[in-house]
Amino acid sequence: MAQRRIRGGKLVMVLCVVAMCRAVPINDLIYRASQQSDKLHALSTMLTQELQGSEVFPIDRVHACHTSSLQTPTDKEQALQVSESDLLSLARSLLQAWSDPLVVLSSSTNVLPYSAQSTLSKTIQKMQEHSKDLKDGLDILSSKMGPAAQAITSLPFIETNEIGQDKITKLLSCFRRDSHKIDSFLKVLRCRAANMQPQMC
Amino acid sequence: MMTKVREVLLLLLLPAFVPHTDGTRYSLPGKPTEIKCRSPEKETFTCWWKPGSDGGLPTTYALYYRKEGSNVVHECPDYHTAGKNSCFFNKNDTVIWVSYNITVVATNALGKTYSDPVDIDVVYIVKPHPPEKLEVTVMKDQGWPFLRVSWEPPRKADTRSGWITLIYELRVKLEEEESEWENHIAGQQKMFNIFSLRSGGTYLIQVRCKPDHGFWSEWSSTSYVKVPEYLHREKSVWILILVFSAFILLILIWLIHMNSHSLKHCMLPPVPGPKIKGFDKQLLKSGKSDEVFSALVVSDFPPTTSNYEDLLVEYLEVYVPEQQELMVDEGKDHDGCLKSIGSASDSDSGRGSCDSDNLLMDKSGAAKEEQQQQNQEGDQIGTETQGPKEAWEKETMLCANEDVVSPSTSSKKVKTWPSVFSPVTPYSPSPLDPHNSLEMHKQNFLSDTQFPPGSPSSDHCIKKALQSSYWEVCFNNNQPYPQTDVHQQLQAHSDRNISAINDGNAPRNLLLPTRMTEYVEVQRVNEENKVLLHPIPSGHTREEACSWVGHGDNYSKVKGVNSDNVLLLQREVVEEESMEMAGAAESCYTSSIAINTPKPTTCSHIALPVQEERVLAVSGYVDTATMFSLDT
Repeated sequence: MAQRRIRGGKLVMVLCVVAMCRAVPINDLIYRASQQSDKLHALSTMLTQELQGSEVFPIDRVHACHTSSLQTPTDKEQALQVSESDLLSLARSLLQAWSDPLVVLSSSTNVLPYSAQSTLSKTIQKMQEHSKDLKDGLDILSSKMGPAAQAITSLPFIETNEIGQDKITKLLSCFRRDSHKIDSFLKVLRCRAANMQPQMC
Repeated sequence: MMTKVREVLLLLLLPAFVPHTDGTRYSLPGKPTEIKCRSPEKETFTCWWKPGSDGGLPTTYALYYRKEGSNVVHECPDYHTAGKNSCFFNKNDTVIWVSYNITVVATNALGKTYSDPVDIDVVYIVKPHPPEKLEVTVMKDQGWPFLRVSWEPPRKADTRSGWITLIYELRVKLEEEESEWENHIAGQQKMFNIFSLRSGGTYLIQVRCKPDHGFWSEWSSTSYVKVPEYLHREKSVWILILVFSAFILLILIWLIHMNSHSLKHCMLPPVPGPKIKGFDKQLLKSGKSDEVFSALVVSDFPPTTSNYEDLLVEYLEVYVPEQQELMVDEGKDHDGCLKSIGSASDSDSGRGSCDSDNLLMDKSGAAKEEQQQQNQEGDQIGTETQGPKEAWEKETMLCANEDVVSPSTSSKKVKTWPSVFSPVTPYSPSPLDPHNSLEMHKQNFLSDTQFPPGSPSSDHCIKKALQSSYWEVCFNNNQPYPQTDVHQQLQAHSDRNISAINDGNAPRNLLLPTRMTEYVEVQRVNEENKVLLHPIPSGHTREEACSWVGHGDNYSKVKGVNSDNVLLLQREVVEEESMEMAGAAESCYTSSIAINTPKPTTCSHIALPVQEERVLAVSGYVDTATMFSLDT
């Protein structure tokens, strides 16, 4: 508890310092970032649900993702104990880990049945855009939050060639989870930064 | 050994006993279906299943789960917290972003039945509890009430830390039958305003929530609110306005009533009725269009008796200029017919008969012309405005019509002028004028009669009339002319229908002393039935009443000659060109007389078929219309 308070205080100080720079307020940056992550996750959810409806996609059966090595909180207590910088770092890492797989996904749509192809390509394109926007925003945010926030864990994605159908489903389910993680972290971050504005949370 | 056999028998018989007691069959339990798991706050979750048939035996259910990446099977820790056929996973057993593989097993005495496995991730199955502490208050905004609805998030959902982000939605309904819910999305706020309320109505309000990526909660419990009546204050104002406007309305009505007459005149001016001179609406209504149209004929159109004399004068007057220029066609081979004015001296030549004939024809032609014009006009109008004229005409018409042949001979009117009009000067003594004009009318009428070719009876009739008229005219004239020749001339040309014309020959002598008029006299009609005219000298007292040369007066100026050799004569008050006839050959025709000098050589031939009536202008007044009619 005390640790949390200290961390909270640090954050407030950091935020105040940053706010005095008269740039875009961090609150706004975080707010925008959380909105972007929300959209990103909504897109992936929609995609998986559509694919699930058209064919038998064992979406929920998640196998090991390439991002599983990243240690993320598994429950609320753990998540709330993570520092803002760590949260941001985690978010950025996850986001970074998915830039390549999205490209691979977009080029592998022809593997899927024709009915799913158009949906997949469109949605993946949108997801790439949002991901790019979010990445830029988080870069700016992390630059304001100190070096700890800027540490990104590399999570390489090995597959560079076209992948088969089963791989695609697995990738999609992994992305859904990771986008949810990003969204959750940023929303937690948002609420923490909005102490002065309780209506945001 | 016997005991063993007995046990085996018992064992074998035992199952047979049991079923026979109740008569049912036992089977495996049905497969549990519809496994649904929900987490209210993303910290715990509950799974429910639907049991299948129990197979007649007591069946127990068990839930087993396996976490992602682990093969360890766990059993549901809590079957009771969430009710029957449920499994509750508390915080300790719940991990997020980890997939659970859940299976429900139904077990009865006979065996187990496994359900289909279900993969879930806790973060995807969030369905919060409904919002709590719903409060609705009536607030006033400048006298107009509105509802302020406020609520609290469900107790267990941790929104403050940002672990769960909730979106709220509320719905409102009037407490009435057939009223529908009105939904409003409130976003993340926990308060909402509702406007446009019905005064005195009771409203029902509910609210629910949803996580950013999850399921909607159930609707909260209903909150009732009654809106107070809020128009009381306004009513008094409205009543005042109403009374005031009613009062003003009454005043307006009274004012209008007082000035109704003048207002009516101002707003709806009387429409002037159609006023056409002579138009009789009653006649029109009666449907007699003929009468209506006849009524439209203005009495003074064409000019009536009052102007008649002037008209006649216009047409009849022939002036004799001092110089007496004779406009005679030079190229006259037919000297016999045309005579120049200068040939006035020829009057003494032995041309009495023919001259008189010519004279007759000329005069009658002239008279005819005028009469024809008048008749034409009269025809157009359809009425005769001159009483005496009418009478006379009718009389003559009657005479003529007795023997009138069918109009095959001439569809047009006979253009014979049995009578000669006497030129009445406008300044002639009045007592004479009416008489003269009367005579002239008579004569003109006479001329209009249609004469059948060579009908002696008609001639006779005409002669009679003519004679009478002639004599009358003669008496009024200062130039008495013997009338003896008239009859002779008449007879001479009776077969030509010229007799009628001849009859009118005599009256040409009716010249008022005040003015010298010139007449073109019909010299004769040659073999080819062509009328030879020659001018008749004026101022001569002739025994023969024959030709005399017109003194340079235009009376029958030839307007022109058309292609069919029809002479178009017209009257002119200037020079008499008609003198061209002087010296014209016999074959030449009087029409040339009036020819202008520009046509010196032309000696137009009057197309005068035998049976045709002669239209020749006698004294220079040729009715061009009649001339035209000759073209047949």
